[in-house]
Amino acid sequence: MWATNAKILGVVLGTLALYTLIANKIPQVQSEVPQTLTLGANVTSEQLVAAGEKVFNGIGGCPTCHGLGTRAPNLLTDEKGQGTVGARCGKREAGKSCKQYLYESLDNPTAYVVQGYQPIMPVMTRQLSPAQVWSVIAFLESQGGTVDVTASDIPAASTTAPAPATGAAGGSGSGLAGGSTDPKAIIQAAGCLACHKLDGQGQVIAPDLTHVGSRRDAESIRKKVLDPMSSIAKGYEKLAGIMPKTFGTMMNAAQLEALAQFLAAHK
Amino acid sequence: MTDSALLLLQAAADTTRAYGEFPVIGARAAVWIAAEVHLMFAAFVLGVPMFAVVAEAIGLFGKDQRYDRLAREFTRLLLVAYSATAIWGAVLVFFLATLYPRFWAYLTTIFGPSMWVYAGLFFCESFTLYLYYYGWDRWKYGRTKLVHWGLGILLNVWGTVVMFIANSWLTYMMTPPRDITPTTDPATIKLWHAIANATWMPINVHRVIANVVFGGAIVAAYASYRFLVAKTDEERAHYDWMGYVGNFIAISALIVLPFAGYWLGREIYQYDQSMGITMMGGFMSWLWVIQAFLIAVLFLTGNYYLWIGMGRIPGAERFQPYTKYLLLVLVLGAIVWGTPHTMIADSKELAAMGGSHHPLLGALGVMSAKNTAVNLMILTTFLSFLLYRRANTRPVVPWARTGTLIQAAMFVVAAGVVLFYGIRGYFVEAIVRIGFSVYQVLAVLACIVCVTVIDILMGRGAASLGAIRWGKMPPRSQYALFILAVTFTWLMGLMGFARSGIRQYWHVWQVMQDTSKYAATPALGYASKMISLCVLIFLSLVGFVFWLGGLAEKSTFVPAGEGEKGARHVGH
Repeated sequence: MWATNAKILGVVLGTLALYTLIANKIPQVQSEVPQTLTLGANVTSEQLVAAGEKVFNGIGGCPTCHGLGTRAPNLLTDEKGQGTVGARCGKREAGKSCKQYLYESLDNPTAYVVQGYQPIMPVMTRQLSPAQVWSVIAFLESQGGTVDVTASDIPAASTTAPAPATGAAGGSGSGLAGGSTDPKAIIQAAGCLACHKLDGQGQVIAPDLTHVGSRRDAESIRKKVLDPMSSIAKGYEKLAGIMPKTFGTMMNAAQLEALAQFLAAHK
Repeated sequence: MTDSALLLLQAAADTTRAYGEFPVIGARAAVWIAAEVHLMFAAFVLGVPMFAVVAEAIGLFGKDQRYDRLAREFTRLLLVAYSATAIWGAVLVFFLATLYPRFWAYLTTIFGPSMWVYAGLFFCESFTLYLYYYGWDRWKYGRTKLVHWGLGILLNVWGTVVMFIANSWLTYMMTPPRDITPTTDPATIKLWHAIANATWMPINVHRVIANVVFGGAIVAAYASYRFLVAKTDEERAHYDWMGYVGNFIAISALIVLPFAGYWLGREIYQYDQSMGITMMGGFMSWLWVIQAFLIAVLFLTGNYYLWIGMGRIPGAERFQPYTKYLLLVLVLGAIVWGTPHTMIADSKELAAMGGSHHPLLGALGVMSAKNTAVNLMILTTFLSFLLYRRANTRPVVPWARTGTLIQAAMFVVAAGVVLFYGIRGYFVEAIVRIGFSVYQVLAVLACIVCVTVIDILMGRGAASLGAIRWGKMPPRSQYALFILAVTFTWLMGLMGFARSGIRQYWHVWQVMQDTSKYAATPALGYASKMISLCVLIFLSLVGFVFWLGGLAEKSTFVPAGEGEKGARHVGH
């Protein structure tokens, strides 16, 4: 009886150990969470290329298709004698520079589907921040071509406050909603509607924000968010102190400004 | 406004506390274990009633009491397993509510009413099970037996609806309707709109079949344990037969499962190409190599069990020379299926490989080769079953030879169709090639159905070459059943990781982002340790459940010779 139990235990543990061992011997690939990319106004082309390579192989997930040559053209190796992507991108569309062509391919992938491939590429400008998109372009240009992406190509806001368009709840070090400056995403992520009502959505525990712009200007809203006790709306004195005091530390400056302007426009 | 109301409001307003923490193992691991073990028990208690009711029907309409006893024994295993399912379900809910409160609040806002229905149906299911099991002796004859069988059907209906409801929650997380965005107020989302999402029905079908596979495998493992510790030949014979039936059910349902999986995969691709690519060619691409290895173990072990089983069948020796050829096809098929192809590779790895694919193996890694391999493996396994089934009979119908030739021709044609489309797939575009797999599947299914029908007709009045010597099996055959049960359970954990992991850092795909410190989806190595841990917990508890079942069985039986009244049942 005990010998049988021991054998069964051995079979079970041995089988589990085998599967676990095999799964640990294969290459270990982890799906990363998108990281915001901060590029200063004086970013160099080398820094852009290095950042772009990380995005290309990491959050961009580009090699999943572009590293194969079956689902999409392989960007890092020669394609039909035309060289790597940096060498061939300027010749793909007449009148378009390499930089223009690559940006449009990322922004509207179905515009230039290479013959023999399916239109399966997602719109990358929706998945990556402008800084990430332009750094990827710099990296692709570096593959056999000349890097001409500069800090001036990247929208000013994103060089200081990067914004991957991945709204929803959040609270990373770069700000709520992954650092997005979309006021609606900030409101959603901050959970404002758990107490406030805005445009017909949300609760009525705290003052309705639908016409908040008629009561407060942007400066007042900014102050109220940073220090909720600075002023209490009439009729809500009993609820003083309920609003969290942490929003100022959860948002970056660009987000706070975007939120204040958005609400102030709600007249 | 009272102070307590103010505190409640404050709690509601405090949106910064979206995540809790769990000691030592962390929040994600805690939820992972609770969800996985709950799911394994749930699959068991949903799968077993399906074939319990089928076994009862065979006993009822076929007048074979062995099947009735088998159905009852299946059902007895369910009683304690139900409690374990409920306990782990409660643990999961508590973990979600305390460790992922914001996400849980989001889900309950949308699915609240369906959760109330779920709880109600769980009551119905539980009490129907009690009626079904405890009424077995009372409703044993005539029309009452039919009523009892009807209870078994009702039990399955409740269970299936309960599962469908729970499936809607998890499939919503994967494939929320496209009009739902991060700014959509969850209170405004219509319940049915959220339930009827893109992957809900494919998951429903896939899980129904997978539950049958899983239940069969666990029952077979239970029977093999009882076989190994049996003290009498009669007991050994019964559990040998029970193990065979459990394994037969598991492997039969397994044959259909890839087709349901294919449908699910297609729906994922249609919903979001990038999600599909992440699953099959992105960071999860190596997962499918592990899956191929597990499937190969299942096919090889399942066939091995059948081939050993032929040793207890008089007349089977005439088929035994063919097993080496069957083994060869299975091994070759497994090798092709496990060949890596579209792996994530960076520029250095591509350079080291000399291109995007291995120069020799690249051609075998594509779906044309893999579909061909798996279809041939299914055909081979079916042939093993057929030989096993015919082992101790000799057909006497006048058209027996013709019938056998037609059966052989069907195998050849099916294999030919599979090979033809497999090879042709290399010369056409991907969109055309995908369609070829349908022809391959249809050829195999048609072969299985037609050959089975011919075999049943041909077996009428067949001469017996001797009865199957149930119980005359070497112990290694029973250990094979254990390997099958462990592999099925592990595979279930792996596929659960694949399904859940393709959401990556989203609680709800592109609607609600996971911003906890566990947002990154772990690599397969970590996942495999978690899966093994869950399987170990589950199997340990199942062992305990079966031991409890054995205790209850022993307590009702008084051996002959103890007291003047002799053997009798007490209790009940």
